[in-house]
Amino acid sequence: MFVYEKKLQYPVKISQPNPRLAQVVMSQYGGPDGELGASLRYLSQRYTMPYDELRGLLTDIGTEELGHLEMVGTLVHQLTRNMSVEDVKRGGYDAYFVDHTAGIYPQSAGGTPWSAAGMQVSGDTIADLTEDMAAEQKARKTYDNILRLSDDPDVSNVIRFLREREIVHYQRFGEALRLTVERQNQKNVYAVNPGFDK
Amino acid sequence: MNEKTIRQDTGFFASQLIPTPWQGSSEPQYAPDEALTRGTLFPGLDLPFMNMGNRGNPYEGTPLGELMAIGFAAHELVLYLDTHKDDAEAFMMLKKLLALKREAHDRYVERYGPLHTDDLMMSGDYDWVKSPWPWQAGEGGMK
Repeated sequence: MFVYEKKLQYPVKISQPNPRLAQVVMSQYGGPDGELGASLRYLSQRYTMPYDELRGLLTDIGTEELGHLEMVGTLVHQLTRNMSVEDVKRGGYDAYFVDHTAGIYPQSAGGTPWSAAGMQVSGDTIADLTEDMAAEQKARKTYDNILRLSDDPDVSNVIRFLREREIVHYQRFGEALRLTVERQNQKNVYAVNPGFDK
Repeated sequence: MNEKTIRQDTGFFASQLIPTPWQGSSEPQYAPDEALTRGTLFPGLDLPFMNMGNRGNPYEGTPLGELMAIGFAAHELVLYLDTHKDDAEAFMMLKKLLALKREAHDRYVERYGPLHTDDLMMSGDYDWVKSPWPWQAGEGGMK
């Protein structure tokens, strides 16, 4: 089960409304490479993981990603909580505002609602871990691009933390893949799928 | 050796899955405060965009900041141990941090209210809904 802890993993305290920046940060809430997809991907893939280390890692990283989802939601909320209608218009936030006002809705920066079509649970251990490594790189890329666009140092501070987490997770998934490969037939790592063939 | 002979090398064998190098050790480590600010406990994995890492975080030096930092360092060791479960030294370090985390947690709860509903055991009244939610930080005139 999951138990709520009434704090963030890393402090988020933004004072100035900035709907233009909120629009791009939002992509890490419900975009194709965002934290919602990350948490659901890992927490769903873990059921067919064949080894103790992999079940543990996917549970622990998947849980951390839920914490990141909350951090990104907090960023978007704080960037939009005190905005005026003038701010909405000037910040190009009107298309989002008309449907969601200042609510936090899982969609990409471009307006596509979050979709499970952006992630995979293949049930194949090597394919899943390889997807997870790619997912960490794609999220890292999005954070790089947010840093290029950010004009608020307090937002950049949080984004740098989240970006660094992708790099650590990539390392751990890489190690998980090594642990998996070491346990396969060394002449043919694809001989079986250890997540299905017993 | 021309291109053709390389392609015909009969000794060729590869797992085909290019491996990430193992992190050989849980040392060196940042102190918990710096780890939280940088986003990792491990200097070897600290690879910031444009080489610009954080130099501080907004809660540094506060009771919540302290709790976040210790909790974060412990979490980093948990992820490390998930793939290095036989590293006894890292496990000892984790146990030390978890003891510190429990102390920091209780200190925080005594002063500011519950972090889990279980912490209501230490509350005089039902203050779970009274203390601010994490996204409310910096909200003016908060009750």
